[in-house]
Amino acid sequence: MTQYRPGCTDARLPLLPAALLRSLLPLAERDEVLADLGADYRSRRAGHGGLAAGIWLWRQVLASLPSLFGRSWWRGWSGFEPSANRMRPGGPPMESWIIDLRYAVRRLANRPLYALLAVLTLALGVGGTAAVFSLVRGLLLEPLPYADEEQIAVFWNQFDWSEAEYLYFNRTFPGFSIVSPYRDEALTLERPNSPTRLLSAISASAELFTVLGVGPAIGRGFKAGDDLTGAAPVAVLSDGLWRDLGGDPGLVGQTIRLDGTERTIVGVMPPGFWFPDPTVNLWVPEALDPETRSGNYALIGRFSPGMTIAGMDGPLAQITARLDEQFDYSPQWDKTKNAKLTPVREYLIGSLRPALVATAVAMALILLIACANVAALMLGQVDGRSAELAVRSALGADRRRLTQQLVVEALVVGVAAGAVGAVLAAVGYDLLVGALPLGAWAESSKLDWTLFAAAIAIAILAALGVALVPTLALWRGDLRGALTRMRTTSAGGRGSRMEGALVVAEVALAVLLAAGAGLLIRSVGKLYAIDPGFNTRGVAVFDVALGATTTPPERREVLERALNALRELPGVEQASLTQRLPLRGGGDNWGVAIQGRPDIGRSTTAVRLVGPEYFDVIGARLRSGRTFTIDDRAGTGDVTVVNKAFAEKYYPGEDPLGRIIGAGNVFEERIVGVIDNIAEDALLDDPAPARYYVYHQAPTYTPENQTLVVRTERPQDAAAILDAGRRAINRVAPGMAIREATTMEQVFGLAVGPARQLMSLLTILTGLALILGAIGVYGVISHFVQRRKRDWGIRLALGLTPGKVISHVVGRGVALVLFGVALGLVGVMVLSRFLVSFLFGIGSADPAALAGSAAALLAVGVIAAFLPAWRASRVDPATVLREQ
Amino acid sequence: MSSDAPLGSFEEQVLLAVVRTADEAYGMRVRQELEQVTGRDVTIGAVYATLDRLEAKGLVLSRRAAVDGLSRRVFALATRGARALAETRDMRDRLWQGVNLRAMLARGTA
Repeated sequence: MTQYRPGCTDARLPLLPAALLRSLLPLAERDEVLADLGADYRSRRAGHGGLAAGIWLWRQVLASLPSLFGRSWWRGWSGFEPSANRMRPGGPPMESWIIDLRYAVRRLANRPLYALLAVLTLALGVGGTAAVFSLVRGLLLEPLPYADEEQIAVFWNQFDWSEAEYLYFNRTFPGFSIVSPYRDEALTLERPNSPTRLLSAISASAELFTVLGVGPAIGRGFKAGDDLTGAAPVAVLSDGLWRDLGGDPGLVGQTIRLDGTERTIVGVMPPGFWFPDPTVNLWVPEALDPETRSGNYALIGRFSPGMTIAGMDGPLAQITARLDEQFDYSPQWDKTKNAKLTPVREYLIGSLRPALVATAVAMALILLIACANVAALMLGQVDGRSAELAVRSALGADRRRLTQQLVVEALVVGVAAGAVGAVLAAVGYDLLVGALPLGAWAESSKLDWTLFAAAIAIAILAALGVALVPTLALWRGDLRGALTRMRTTSAGGRGSRMEGALVVAEVALAVLLAAGAGLLIRSVGKLYAIDPGFNTRGVAVFDVALGATTTPPERREVLERALNALRELPGVEQASLTQRLPLRGGGDNWGVAIQGRPDIGRSTTAVRLVGPEYFDVIGARLRSGRTFTIDDRAGTGDVTVVNKAFAEKYYPGEDPLGRIIGAGNVFEERIVGVIDNIAEDALLDDPAPARYYVYHQAPTYTPENQTLVVRTERPQDAAAILDAGRRAINRVAPGMAIREATTMEQVFGLAVGPARQLMSLLTILTGLALILGAIGVYGVISHFVQRRKRDWGIRLALGLTPGKVISHVVGRGVALVLFGVALGLVGVMVLSRFLVSFLFGIGSADPAALAGSAAALLAVGVIAAFLPAWRASRVDPATVLREQ
Repeated sequence: MSSDAPLGSFEEQVLLAVVRTADEAYGMRVRQELEQVTGRDVTIGAVYATLDRLEAKGLVLSRRAAVDGLSRRVFALATRGARALAETRDMRDRLWQGVNLRAMLARGTA
């Protein structure tokens, strides 16, 4: 490197351009070029002034950089040395790196199997990690689309607040600058010449967008007074819905028909805005009534300036004190207890974290396994090259230079793996998103450039990690001694111990994954084994919504038309309807009174209004009495079917059949049947009393949202009739919006929860880990056999039986695997807590899951070790001894 | 006709500049010569990269020589380079035969 010297000929050149040129000029020519350039620069400065000379110099330097860089590269790659420089030392800068690169590319090209295996293995790990990283970045690390999100929090008892409670505070809550109540809604959108659509919406007070601190891109948000009774109905659209409706700025000011009401579009939110999840595309102000005490709102608020969530204890105490003064709460729903604020980030996307973290950990494990695998492969290569390295070292190559070569080779593999991995990640991204329990966020997560950047960065890091292992072997081993050892001994040195250590690590990591998958498989198996009280197979499900303005008789008529159309479809056995499908929770709760039992007092039970054929369609089990028939109509005497939990609670030890119950003081409903408990709420909830009415006998009450259920003749056809069912419904009931068409099995799958999706993903990754583990064991044992070929030859010649050879070699493989399994199981104890939130019915140290994963790894190890063992047993002593 | 001809236009210019600067044909001098004769900006990087390529092809030779008291890599035209230049020029001359631009330009302005 030329040092800066006072008086040196390029001394007058400005520092930066001189440094740039120096970095790209060959040592042999550097001084003269800089001196000439300096002389030219000086004469220009004298003639044309400093500025003109400076501009000229920078143009010279910047325009020269590409050609000088190209020249360096070409000289390094081609080895060209000008005849003038023969007697002067110093090639182009980075020459040794370029030469090593050429060497690495040639070596890899000559060993296509090794190169392919290394690149593909690493690419799998890199691609998976990059895809998860990109997903995590988009979902968990991006700021929410609200101003100062840390200033926003959600009140406790979510979706339990009433308009009366909110208005009692006169919209002013201690500690908050502004608070807004909001709740979910589904609104039908009717447009001329297109089928009725159902939109996910939020109705809120006029303060909502002020709380979030976001203004619309076009038009206005809500203004004060929009949420008063009698105010003109307005709506704000999401950017996505606005585009769906034509994307014309002129839409603002026009009206759309939502749930039968004409609403004026007053604004469009900016692209990228979402609240409370990306599927919501419409916000409407709710007319708030201080008399409405039924609560289904969540309260979201922005702190007063200077307040933080940590300092909210005092204001919360004031809020609960005022609630206590005004409202009476039953102990079960007491809002004055357990007052707590949830930060908006935690509230909205906190539920995504466990699955994403578990997946990220799993992908990182795959990457580590892949790294260990490639490192073992490289180590094998270094060992195989020990003679070459020893000769090079004897000729003067130092360890630093040999290390550089290993690093360059690893980087070549790494960059190739990064490129392949990025492609894999891009292709597999949608699969990954589909395989994760992301709910509403699945559609909004998009592939972006960060994935590619992440893939390359991860690959380079991984490659450097990979290069570390053979480098250690190189620095710790005795290079020159290798030449002598080669001829005289056959035992593996440090390299083989390190290879063994790598395989142990690989197996340990694979055990972690396998145990994770095993725990989830066991858990999900237990969830699937839960009896929901009905038959999930062979039932198609259509969630429909009828406009708010249609009357109950009109609704029943439309529903009947749709049911008849469904019944006529080929392959359909029966169709019926329910106001709320099992396993989805929510739904109506009505008061119940038991005739002759005034001592029980007032309580409520879940209520479902269903069609007469409903229990047959879903395969509910009748315990006694009968279910509904088409003769149960208005005027034939009101009847009800209750579940087993109802019978046990209200008629302990008695037969409830024929007993009369009521909703208030009038007793007029006769119990005609008792069915097994159906899981109406979550799958894991304890059975709760429920009663069922046939909707013909409740002529004034037909809710807007209904679910049509269809049993097919063959169970496997349920999914196949969904499209035909949609078409049939649209044909006979065009005003009815289909919210979703699915199958009962899918509804059950959703009820099983995120563990199911995570299980599938972890199982696939475990499969991958087992394959990588098998490759690792196979590689190391093959290498072990190869190195000891001479030993085997001699021993076989001395009478050792091939069976003994096989058992010895396989035994070595098994020993490595066992060691790895033991280490892995220790890791499982530590890491399985990540999965605890997904586990059901088993502990995180479930013996069956752990034993299963250990057995899987052991089996893979034995199989992978067997092939090289068999080869060792077939060694021909004569050939081997001649070779040596 | 050798495989070196026709030369690329910048290669041809650099070779001619090497011939014109004779004993002083080092990189910066060649660059200055090109700039003076053609009246266009030429970068030192482009000149050095081209000279390297020409030397690798055997069209110029380089040696160390002291010019103005400094050891420099000085270039000289090799026989192959001279042949390539001559052939490139012959090829162009043949193409120019029968082309009367003066008449065309005169017609164009009329």
